Amino acid sequence: MFRYYLRLGLLSIRANPALSALMVAAIAIGIGACMTIVNVRHVMSDNPIEHKNDVLYHVQVDNWSPDEPYEEPDLPPEQLSYLDAKALYDAKRAFRQVVSFKSDRVVQPAGEDARPFQETVRATTADFFAMFDVPFAFGSGWDEAADQSEERVVVLASGLNEELFGGKNSVGELLRMNDETYRIVGVLAPWTPVPKFYDVNNNPFEEPERLFLPFSLAISGEFGSNGNTSCWKTVGDGGYEAFLASECIWMQMWVELEDATQRQEYEQFLNAYVSEQKLLGRFPREMNNRLSTPAEWLQNRDVVDDHVSMLLSLAVLFLVVCLLNTIGLLLAKVMRRTNDTSLRRALGANKSALFSQYIIEAGLIGMAGGLLGIGLTWLGLQGIENLYAEYEFIKNLVRMDWSMIFLAVALAIASALGAALYPTWRACSISPATTLRIQ
Amino acid sequence: MLKMKSVSKTYRTDMVETHALREFSLTVGEGEFVSVTGPSGSGKTTFLNIAGMLEELTSGTYELDGKDISSLNDRERSKVRNEKIGFIFQSFNLIPELDVFDNVDVPLRYRGFNAGERRRRIEKCLDMVGLMSRIKHYPGQLSGGQQQRVAIARALAGEPRFLLADEPTGNLDTNMAESVLDLLSEINTSGTTIIMVTHELTLADRAKRNIFVRDGQVSDGPPELHFAAAANA
Amino acid sequence: MELGPIFRAMLKAKAGYILIALQIAVTMTIMVNAIAIMQEKNDAIARESGMDEANTFAFSSTSFEPDADMRSLVEEDLDTIRNLPGVRSAVASNSYPLRQGGWSEGLQLEPDANSSDSIGSAIYFVDEHGVDSFGATIIDGQNFTPNQVSFKDPESNTWPAYGIVTEALAKELFPEEQTSVVGKTIYLGDNDPINIVAVIDRLQAPWQSWTGVERSMLIPQRRLGTYQTYIVRTEPGYRDELMPQVEELLANSNKGRIIRSMTTMDHVRMRAYLDESAMVTMLTFIVTLLVIITGLGIVGLASFNVSRRTRQIGIRRALGANKFAIMRYFMVENFIVSSVGIATGGILAVLLNILMVNAFGLQPLSWYVIPIAMLVLWLVGQIAVAGPARRASNITPAIATRSG
Ligand SMILES: Nc1ncnc2c1ncn2[C@@H]1O[C@H](COP(=O)(O)OP(=O)(O)O)[C@@H](O)[C@H]1O
Ligand SMILES: [Mg+2]
Repeated sequence: MFRYYLRLGLLSIRANPALSALMVAAIAIGIGACMTIVNVRHVMSDNPIEHKNDVLYHVQVDNWSPDEPYEEPDLPPEQLSYLDAKALYDAKRAFRQVVSFKSDRVVQPAGEDARPFQETVRATTADFFAMFDVPFAFGSGWDEAADQSEERVVVLASGLNEELFGGKNSVGELLRMNDETYRIVGVLAPWTPVPKFYDVNNNPFEEPERLFLPFSLAISGEFGSNGNTSCWKTVGDGGYEAFLASECIWMQMWVELEDATQRQEYEQFLNAYVSEQKLLGRFPREMNNRLSTPAEWLQNRDVVDDHVSMLLSLAVLFLVVCLLNTIGLLLAKVMRRTNDTSLRRALGANKSALFSQYIIEAGLIGMAGGLLGIGLTWLGLQGIENLYAEYEFIKNLVRMDWSMIFLAVALAIASALGAALYPTWRACSISPATTLRIQ
Repeated sequence: MLKMKSVSKTYRTDMVETHALREFSLTVGEGEFVSVTGPSGSGKTTFLNIAGMLEELTSGTYELDGKDISSLNDRERSKVRNEKIGFIFQSFNLIPELDVFDNVDVPLRYRGFNAGERRRRIEKCLDMVGLMSRIKHYPGQLSGGQQQRVAIARALAGEPRFLLADEPTGNLDTNMAESVLDLLSEINTSGTTIIMVTHELTLADRAKRNIFVRDGQVSDGPPELHFAAAANA
Repeated sequence: MELGPIFRAMLKAKAGYILIALQIAVTMTIMVNAIAIMQEKNDAIARESGMDEANTFAFSSTSFEPDADMRSLVEEDLDTIRNLPGVRSAVASNSYPLRQGGWSEGLQLEPDANSSDSIGSAIYFVDEHGVDSFGATIIDGQNFTPNQVSFKDPESNTWPAYGIVTEALAKELFPEEQTSVVGKTIYLGDNDPINIVAVIDRLQAPWQSWTGVERSMLIPQRRLGTYQTYIVRTEPGYRDELMPQVEELLANSNKGRIIRSMTTMDHVRMRAYLDESAMVTMLTFIVTLLVIITGLGIVGLASFNVSRRTRQIGIRRALGANKFAIMRYFMVENFIVSSVGIATGGILAVLLNILMVNAFGLQPLSWYVIPIAMLVLWLVGQIAVAGPARRASNITPAIATRSG
């Protein structure tokens, strides 16, 4: 019987090619518009470190001005001052801890005519790679000893290794930056977490830095921050030293805590630290420490921007229009076939037979719409990439994965079936007597 | 007065050419009640369509009240149809989504009468066909005879001078058919010219004049008709 | 007009009409809100930065040699650039409008005032060429003199005693002042007095989405960090040939630095408003598609209605309706559906707009968008239905006697 209904459905679709095309197109366009935006949003709100979500915590303490909170409603600053980052790191009270900040260096490649170029770098403590499961192609990160001894070591991202060394194993080679020589200890495998969860204060969708070097080395080398810096108190005169001693916030800190007990202990430690600092005259605000999991932190920082949310709400409404359109057209089709339907009823078709017939027809249209919709989603993503061609990072946003493709087809079929329900119900309630009454 | 002279009507399809009417000539005078009979496919409906200006003729002349109709444009034809001609169809042809009142109202709307005038005429005609009590019913809620009586009311509402009926009793049982015929005779008595196509000879005989159509031409009435009439008498 | 019977006939098959009315309503909702968003974005894009954008380019220089003599390097660079034919003026600063990154300070009328009373302003460090390089016009007071310009470390906290403010900043600082604000003293941070020497017409802060974007102050100081931003204003028509020339000259004059981000102000503007213009493009696309889909939906439904009613149309024709009357029937029917949809859509649009204003801080919508959208949708409906209506009017009245 299913084959029979399938054939009836195909016949009916072929009998009204323009109308069927219109329904398929409406569903496809609705799905395409919706899925394009959903896709962008899906990538934006992804949590690339989900597998460690229950052990990683972003650390915040509130060293902000007594007059006003850093951000309403009474949120602590999103970054740390050097004073606090250093003190919390040195205490080593977590299983792993990482403090880092974004800076830049001028890379001077070997060779007479090679031009120097500027690169953003991440100055970080040694645990960064282990803590965030950063994959290595060659070598490894540096150890804590290197952190202490301010050794001039550096880790290259795979893209930069490609540019500088043609992708070969460059561990042990030397690299000149700002007229100083660094030894390469590791080369990363391709690694592009989207969003860049470990530092969402700057653009959360840009590529990770392509150079990683020890935090202590950066501080003693007086590296400035290349990311956001906020201060509520004027910095005293005295150059970099004064800046380090200021209440300006510019560093990110993460800790790894293996279980609830560790987490509790770390909270107590943070409280104790802040209380101690209060005695020294710092931390004028109420105690307001936060430990956030990566998911909480991404949510909290609201990395999905308003434009995407606005577009999404309009795209969902768009799909609603496309569905209303389809419902209307299906209903019209049913109404026009009243005679046919009531004749079938008179000839012995029961309601469930008619129901199957119409639902299968709608399902076919939905499937076609869904497949076409995937194509349109892909086009839509290309379109967005084109609009933002100026920004490299947008490439990271316009990926389509299997879960999205599956969602598109499922949404299309669900939409078509949903749209078919009312017209089908109407068809089923056509009485077999209708034909006989009105010619 | 209705006057057709050498009217031909040819239908062309991809496959064949059908000469539905050939050299058809007929004059119907004021106040006549004419029945048209003939075998199926002989061109009766075609004649009625041309008489009622539902279709254009292929050649020949057609005068209505002394005016040549063949040169009128659509707007003028519609107006003539609306004001001078009333139609009654075999399959009633009521509009299913309008109730009885609105169905009778349709030609009056195109006539441009005001609301009071329309209501007066609708009620008068419905009263005449005895369906005042069904004024809010939809066609789906009426029997065949009732539907045809609404159709007659609709045809009469514009007070047409000509009433064209195509097998008006074809879908009705004998009793109903008789009562419709009574109604038509009554209408004819009050001055309306009636042309009625039918294949039932007994009914045809109720008309004052009988015309027989064969192969798209008026032919002399077949002897059987008079025989049947005599037998009936 | 036969509104009554048309409306009653519609009620008999209401589901189809309600659906199309709903579709029009949601279309209207999207359309109105999309237009509101587009308007806001377009307004933002249309704001002027104050610079002579067509004839200005900017770039940065990063010195990476330790102990570079920044003061003489910048001096030499500026000399080189200013002496090139076609250069109108040039300045070394910390940022420029639309750049997204810059320096801001709180300004106040009294020293040591509570910090929440201060007014934020962008700071541009310049010399006496700053006003002209930034394309600003002095509307009151005098430009900086060369000996007012001081030289300081990048992290220094010593401020010169002079400043030039934009008119918008002056208004914000002295809302009541009727006469000149030149000569008045304001305080930067807690207690650095600054004497206003001039007011310029307009110069935006580097952050175009900041509410205080029109508030900027020029400070006669050169911060001698290794990172310098140069702004070059050319005579009309010279920009494109000067850019590679300047890059070449400066790159060769000193090997211990790199010249980066050589960019025209046109390009900077494009980048700065990329999000806004992309949004406008996407919304235009969505609205266009939507109107097309709704239009096609109306065509499809009307065609269906026409073919479903073929017989009825024939009957009406037989009863004396002329072609125009048949066309009018469908046009009126569509007008009724559209009107119901548009009225509902107007209400939904306002509700969604209120939601968006609350959720995304959008500007409330301008009243005239609604009548415009109404008109457009009415027109679209009438155009869409015209085709099927024409086909209906061509149905032969003979249908009434045939196909019994
Ligand atoms: N639209 C048409 N196209 C082609 N042939 C037609 C058409 N209408 C009627 N005919 C043909 O014209 C002839 C006369 O038809 P009609 O006037 O309906 O006959 P009657 O009403 O006497 O039964 C028939 O042979 C019929 O097949
Ligand atoms: Mg016939």
